[in-house]
Amino acid sequence: MPLDILVIQLLNGLVFSLLLFLMAAGLSLILGLMDVVNLAHGGFYLFGGYIGLTMIRWFGSFWLALLIAPLVAGALGLLLQVWFLRRLQSRHLDQVLFTFGLALIAADMLRWYWGAYVESVPPPPELDGSVLIMGRQFPVYRLSLIFFGAIVGVALMVLLDYTRIGAIVRAGVSDSELVSGLGINIDWVFVGVFVLGTALAALAGVAAGPITNLYPGLDFEILILALVVVVIGGLGTLRGALLGSILVGMTETLGKAFIPEFSLFVIFALMALVLLVRPRGLLGQKEA
Amino acid sequence: MYFESVGNTAGGRKIELVTDDEGEKPDEALKKARKMVEQDQVDLVAGIVSSGVAAAVRGFFDETQSVLIIANAGANALTRAAKSKYIFRTSFSNWQPNWPMGAWAYENVGKKALISVPDYGAGADMLKAFEFAFKAAGGTVVEKQLTPFPNMGDPAPFITQISNAKVDFVYAFYSGAAATTFVKAYGSFGLAGKLPLVGAGFLVEQDVLPSQGDAALGVKSGLHWALTLDNAVNKKFVDDFKKRTTKEANVFAVQGYDTARLIVDSVNAVQGNTKDKAKWIEAIGGVSFDGPRGKFKMDPKTNNVVQSIYARDVKKVGDTLQNVVVKNFGEIADPGDDSKG
Amino acid sequence: MTSLLANFRRWQFWLTLIGLIALVIYPNVASSYLISLLTEVFVFAIFAMSLDLLLGYSGLSSFGHAAFFGLGGYILGFVARNWTANMFITLPIVLIGSALGALIIGFFALRTSGLSFLMFTLAASQMFFGIAIKWTAVTGGSDGLSGIPRPTIGVGDTVYRFGTGFQFYFVALIFFLIAFWLMRQLVHSPFGRALIGIKSNEARMKALGYNTWRYKMMAFTLAGVFAGLSGYLFAYFNRHVSPETFYWTTSGQVMIMVIIGGAGSLTGPALGAVLVRLLPSYVSSYTERWHAIMGLVFILFVLFAPQGIIGLLKKVGRVSNSPNEP
Repeated sequence: MPLDILVIQLLNGLVFSLLLFLMAAGLSLILGLMDVVNLAHGGFYLFGGYIGLTMIRWFGSFWLALLIAPLVAGALGLLLQVWFLRRLQSRHLDQVLFTFGLALIAADMLRWYWGAYVESVPPPPELDGSVLIMGRQFPVYRLSLIFFGAIVGVALMVLLDYTRIGAIVRAGVSDSELVSGLGINIDWVFVGVFVLGTALAALAGVAAGPITNLYPGLDFEILILALVVVVIGGLGTLRGALLGSILVGMTETLGKAFIPEFSLFVIFALMALVLLVRPRGLLGQKEA
Repeated sequence: MYFESVGNTAGGRKIELVTDDEGEKPDEALKKARKMVEQDQVDLVAGIVSSGVAAAVRGFFDETQSVLIIANAGANALTRAAKSKYIFRTSFSNWQPNWPMGAWAYENVGKKALISVPDYGAGADMLKAFEFAFKAAGGTVVEKQLTPFPNMGDPAPFITQISNAKVDFVYAFYSGAAATTFVKAYGSFGLAGKLPLVGAGFLVEQDVLPSQGDAALGVKSGLHWALTLDNAVNKKFVDDFKKRTTKEANVFAVQGYDTARLIVDSVNAVQGNTKDKAKWIEAIGGVSFDGPRGKFKMDPKTNNVVQSIYARDVKKVGDTLQNVVVKNFGEIADPGDDSKG
Repeated sequence: MTSLLANFRRWQFWLTLIGLIALVIYPNVASSYLISLLTEVFVFAIFAMSLDLLLGYSGLSSFGHAAFFGLGGYILGFVARNWTANMFITLPIVLIGSALGALIIGFFALRTSGLSFLMFTLAASQMFFGIAIKWTAVTGGSDGLSGIPRPTIGVGDTVYRFGTGFQFYFVALIFFLIAFWLMRQLVHSPFGRALIGIKSNEARMKALGYNTWRYKMMAFTLAGVFAGLSGYLFAYFNRHVSPETFYWTTSGQVMIMVIIGGAGSLTGPALGAVLVRLLPSYVSSYTERWHAIMGLVFILFVLFAPQGIIGLLKKVGRVSNSPNEP
């Protein structure tokens, strides 16, 4: 394989890694802080993408869509959390099952409203060109996703590790009674986390829309990819999700490049392997 | 739509429709076929989108001697090794739209090709048909790229491998979401316009073409219909379809429309007496008419449709992308066995 | 309290007897389509109960149970098409094959737990799906194996063939009853009680000297064997087996059956199978949105009846049996 192709493939891998991180961040967040696997995550992703698409059609602005879709999805997340999930507060398994039912409903409703055909999200015109990398064309939008993913990642880590809100959330997770004792309403901490997680899913839906396109069934594809990333990286740690994304993104891309016929197996084989060596994932401390 | 145009009657009998969603799972489709045939006592079942579903229900229809009209699923075997007296196909065999493109691509596009298809039954059928004809014409297949099915995921690694191949053109079969993902990535990595993309018509059919945008420009494909096909029946069909649904027609709608017409014509031919199955089956095999896709004729030998295949080229007509017919290959009948790919 | 329990049991005994008689009469009066519907329910009831052994009794959330359902079907398809459809031969082959498959997957999967276990089992079943699509020579590729011959039983030249849907109904019914009885014995045995103990507190069971890994391994293998049995019957029934039997949607569907029916009760998941397989047959003719309806039903159960159908029934039964209880 010539060097230029190898470089492009590695770049493809990096783009896909950051794309995966965007897809998995919201899932990882909710899992890490609320101990709930949000199986409707893919549904929120697709919902966000469709909302974004509609916004682009109405207002003609990708950036506006990137802002509005997470707000809409976050609002929906808020209602679901306050009306339903909170009722199941102490029943974690039931919370997960609730999100599973939600995923089934979402899949059908999205198909009903936005149709069964594939839709594509146009990338913003400013980023809709290509650059030459070692003499070969590479889409600018894919490159910019590397930066976008990195920005989101850094922002989340700063938010959780270095701000007061982050400190409250982390404290709330390890000892909710203590936090309640300090006069902070722990329920609202969980609401905030769930809203942020769903908004992130929608954000990913818009940002990745120009690459993945939008179609019924994408929701479950994304969910499974995000789950694989989170499980490989170590449950619920954002750094784990980042590491998992890079590992999965690179393996999948190089697998497709070198052994396309077997690329169907690659990421599942990778996941099985990682779990055999480290049952809690690469950076996971807690029991799944 | 066609049923309405004949007042919902055929051979003096009222047409009663029982509809159901076949779903995507073969076993559920089989269950619904049982319901329609055994519970609702329908005379025939028409539909079947996926070849996997067709493979699952085939045995049931053959055994219960119930008539099934396949309006999409293309697996060659359904009208070859696994053909049944009671199963007809009004859509296409996977072989049909690909085989004529082999010689055409050799003459009009290039001598060396890379073939990219999803790794499952239909992909293999299409690949074989094109490869057979392309090689017979003198072409060389340099590389075959089999991509994961059902989910291709990020196509970038495949597109990058393609950009490295020393070929004159790429031949591809993708449909639905995968078609859009593939064609768009092909464009965004700068291959569109440089390395010709040729394929089975589903790659750029009306269901996916609007979502592909300019990346689809110049894609050449073979199919048994095109929106722009210049005949009176098609013009009326496309107009009527648009009036009813506000959308452009696509090949799947045409297949449904022709299937309805085949049903009405065959039932008319036996004056509504569908109980005499032998006669009715003979009548179905004898159906022939001018439809939106041109001459439509059943082949009683294979129970598959004989139809014209068209080479099409995606061009910008006004503001919209259109598959413009560049060549009519004439009537193409499936060989009924694997002798030609 | 004891009299209440006795009451409940007597009530249950008569109900079971009436149910059995009805199930035997049913195919004599029902149309062939309705017979096929119930046959399918028996098959999926075995499948759902087998998952209940994991989900409800051992606390192992497998999201790849379809692996064994598909495996049973494919092994049967391969043997029946290439050699014989005689159940005396095919049944042991399929049971041993499923057990081996479950032993291998379980050996690795049981190193993990919780979500990791769920994802590992999912990965295993998705890999089986991939193999089914790719290994065309054996599995028929994406079209699956069709034309599976109808089952026969017999030794030497005396062979009886279950040639109709009516006859196969009884085959499925008998297998269902045997499987139900076996699993019931199992969960009420010391072994079953140990599993329940492991589910509620594994550390404690370990401290009591139980080799919990061995128990879980055993449970996983048995669940795999029963799932294989249901896949085996399903393939005979449809006379076809497709890669979709391995797909995660199949695992998802059977999980819904267990949850809606009520995990940890065996009867519940069987009832879940009835609801999940029958409801779409009726609803989907009237509305295209039946997936959403299914999701809604599921959510309602999670929110308001987490013990599932069986929990609801028990509540009703308790109320009607004991008007004095508060």
